[in-house]
Amino acid sequence: MSDKLQDIINKQQDQIAPGEENMDNIVQLVGFVVGDEEFSVPILSIQEIIKPIEWTRVPRTPGYILGVFNLRGTVIPLIDLRLKFGLPSEKMTDESRFIVMKNESETAGFVIDRLTEAIRLKKHEIGPAPETSMQEKTMIEGVGKQDEKILTILKVDKLLERDF
Amino acid sequence: MDEFQEILQDFLIESFELIEQLDQDLVELENSPEDLELLNRIFRVAHTVKGASSFLNFDILTHLTHHMEDVLNKARHGELVIDADIMDVILESIDLMKSLLTTIRDTSKDEGIEVEPCVLRLVAITSGESPTEVQAPTAEETPAVEEPAAVEEEAEEPDFANMSDEDVEAEIQRLLEERQASDKAKREAKLAAGEEVPQMPDAQESDAQESKDEEPSPAPVLAVETPSTPPPAAKAAPKVDKKAAAPATATTVEQTIRVDVKRLDHLMNLIGELVLGKNRLIKINDDVEERYEGEEFLEELNQVVSIVSLVTTDLQIAVMKTRMLPIGKVFNKFPRMIRDLSRELGKKIELEISGEETELDKSIVEEIGDPLVHIIRNSCDHGIEDTSKRVATGKSETGTIGLKAYNEGNHIVIEITDDGAGMDPDFLRTKSIEKGVITEKEADMMSDKEAFTLIFRPGFSTAAQVTNVSGRGVGMDVVKTNIEKLNGMIDIESELGKGTVMKLKIPLTLAIIQALLVGVQEEYYAIPLASVLETVRIGKEEIYTVENRSVMRLRDEVLSLVHIADIFEVEHVFDTSEHAYVVVLGLAESKIGLIVDSLVGQEEIVIKSMGEYLKGMDGIAGATIRGDGGVTLIVDVAALMHMAKTIKSSVTGDAGSAKGGPREKTQPSDYKVMIIDDSKTDRKIMTMALKPLGITLIEANDGLEALNILKSGEHHFDALLIDIEMPRMDGYTLASEIKKYNKYKNLPLIAVTSRTGKADRMRGVESGMVEYITKPYSPDYLQNVVKRNIKFTFSQESAS
Repeated sequence: MSDKLQDIINKQQDQIAPGEENMDNIVQLVGFVVGDEEFSVPILSIQEIIKPIEWTRVPRTPGYILGVFNLRGTVIPLIDLRLKFGLPSEKMTDESRFIVMKNESETAGFVIDRLTEAIRLKKHEIGPAPETSMQEKTMIEGVGKQDEKILTILKVDKLLERDF
Repeated sequence: MDEFQEILQDFLIESFELIEQLDQDLVELENSPEDLELLNRIFRVAHTVKGASSFLNFDILTHLTHHMEDVLNKARHGELVIDADIMDVILESIDLMKSLLTTIRDTSKDEGIEVEPCVLRLVAITSGESPTEVQAPTAEETPAVEEPAAVEEEAEEPDFANMSDEDVEAEIQRLLEERQASDKAKREAKLAAGEEVPQMPDAQESDAQESKDEEPSPAPVLAVETPSTPPPAAKAAPKVDKKAAAPATATTVEQTIRVDVKRLDHLMNLIGELVLGKNRLIKINDDVEERYEGEEFLEELNQVVSIVSLVTTDLQIAVMKTRMLPIGKVFNKFPRMIRDLSRELGKKIELEISGEETELDKSIVEEIGDPLVHIIRNSCDHGIEDTSKRVATGKSETGTIGLKAYNEGNHIVIEITDDGAGMDPDFLRTKSIEKGVITEKEADMMSDKEAFTLIFRPGFSTAAQVTNVSGRGVGMDVVKTNIEKLNGMIDIESELGKGTVMKLKIPLTLAIIQALLVGVQEEYYAIPLASVLETVRIGKEEIYTVENRSVMRLRDEVLSLVHIADIFEVEHVFDTSEHAYVVVLGLAESKIGLIVDSLVGQEEIVIKSMGEYLKGMDGIAGATIRGDGGVTLIVDVAALMHMAKTIKSSVTGDAGSAKGGPREKTQPSDYKVMIIDDSKTDRKIMTMALKPLGITLIEANDGLEALNILKSGEHHFDALLIDIEMPRMDGYTLASEIKKYNKYKNLPLIAVTSRTGKADRMRGVESGMVEYITKPYSPDYLQNVVKRNIKFTFSQESAS
């Protein structure tokens, strides 16, 4: 009996193991559009995605900080990625969303123009960020190649860092 | 080892509690050295600490307390009169005891503190010498002097260090009883001082009698009645007294439980959430009431909502109370401080404390200590004059400093008074100019009361030289900073030659606060009510400009003004009316008038942080969630006052010059009117009717769409034509939604409808419509109504 059980367990593990290996090599991302470009962030850094709700302006902050909003009792800063990326501001549409991202210390909402899709990328498909003069300041984690598309992966820690 | 730790913890907690009371008792003792009750109490502390510390093998502590006990024992038996010099030594030894206990708390060892010199002086006192004569004791002398004392001690008490296990057991039992007895005596003393003790037989009597042999108990009743009777009273006295003491214990015993502060904090957070929920519920209840007027279930809902809100409020108060501590905890250390200071400064100073039972939040109690220390030091050093000077000016030799606490609304007021020299505003002005704290011009403009507040400026000091007590110009700045942190206010009154009264007004709690909600354009801000002194409505013409600063006259004061829109960079979208509301803010010692567009009301708010990302924004103390689920920012009054100094003012007496007023209309198409109707035909009819005017027309399908167009801010409308019956959002709802915005208060809303009933018209007016046009109408009529409402100035001929 126990031999049989052991057999089954072994088999199961065999089945799981290759998958797990794959999981380790795969990065799951959520893609979205800001302006004309598609960006993405790791799915694990996203707390939730909500439709735009009312927010309150916080005075004396840089323009890209729209203010704060109430997410079920927590007050969370709201950042407009268009303005943050130096694009002109545009009215929110039905497709606009707030992506609430978090890391160990900080949570913030980001306004994006529209969501695209959840993306699975193998690690080897992700290249390093392009060489720029300000390697320190770059918000780009890496660049993913997917079929014909080029996908910019953003650094969530950098997005959540206060830079004023 | 764990068991030992546990015992050690208990020992430390107990010892610190005992010591807290000790300082005050000792100072009192100096004033009435023959008070047997006091002596006994002090003796017992030394005794208890000694007993327990020897049991726990803290030799140095035992050594020290043992000799303290000797001295006190002698005094207790009347063989020694405690004078100031002896008291100095005793106080010194108490200080050593404290630092030893602190060391034990931190390291579990009583090493590293030199007690020998102090012990020698104590020994000297016991043997009848003056303590000041013993100065440089040598190590060899020590054991010799110590021995007789130790032997003497043996008779009274077993040597703990060399005890067998059984003896230890017995000793613990004995110590326990002793503690109980001393507790009883303490409580009884309180009662004896207050009122008659109800006479009642008691079961604990035997306990008391057991311990009486080792520890003759005080005779508080006797002591109070005949304080001058010398101590060697009859042996019977303690016995009688014990009987009186015991019943008192039975009736006044209070059950307490120690709770981790973290748990209370957590509880407080939860209550905060609940309060927000309550606010929300009340708001929803109001909305529902409006919509379903007269429905039966409303009453039930009303009842539930009021019960919930009542219970929430009670719960909040109850939890707040669990965090309350009597301010006496802070006051207790001052008698000792005053005593030391008066000896140091060579002045005679008396401290009068009242209201020490007044309670306030634990976090505030912790913060209030430092400012008080500085204020009292200041009063001692600068306030109270030298004895000779006092006599010369006909005052009593002894200066008095009063420390008083009492409740006033949601605040606690701490009053520090002295009958010293008082402050000279002119002297303060000259000194400040000298030190470069203010300019001469500023000095000229200052009222006397403002001049008093100069003492809070950093770098300000009147002391000619830096002494141990004061003169660095730091202390009062600390006071100001700490009080500001607590959202408190400082008020100073001083009369030259008579003395000074300083009032600290501090909110009772920090987490949940009362706030005044104010509106500016279409934003709202919450101002902690603790900082609001009053609100006044003024006309624009009452605002004067002095050197680029806006000011107003408030009764006999000149109040500088700042517009909240300038502080928070609020866009001027519409022109405000000729009236403005001024919220007079007071914090620590300064005052300012904040101009706002509207006053919304008072609300209970819970302070929420805005996270690391937006932490420490200028002028914003945090955010709170309102009843409607929106976020409202809380004004940081201290920062605001600071910012007000540097901000250029746009407040002027001339209303016309305000920027962003109505735009100049140069052609008919500058006028914009929105037509809101779900029927395309109706929209067409209206468009046709208005076309001849040449004005710009925007169309919307229903209320929601109209509201979105309006909110987007793309267009500036001069009027809205609204159909009443529409899908998604009807005309009434739309009108009341629009009127919620300050910005659109004066926007004419014209109802165009086939509903003709009187009730419909009434509803229209209630929701904020200015005109009511019934279908069908003639194009001319519509044109005229619109022209009238948008103040159309072009003649029709030129337009068409």
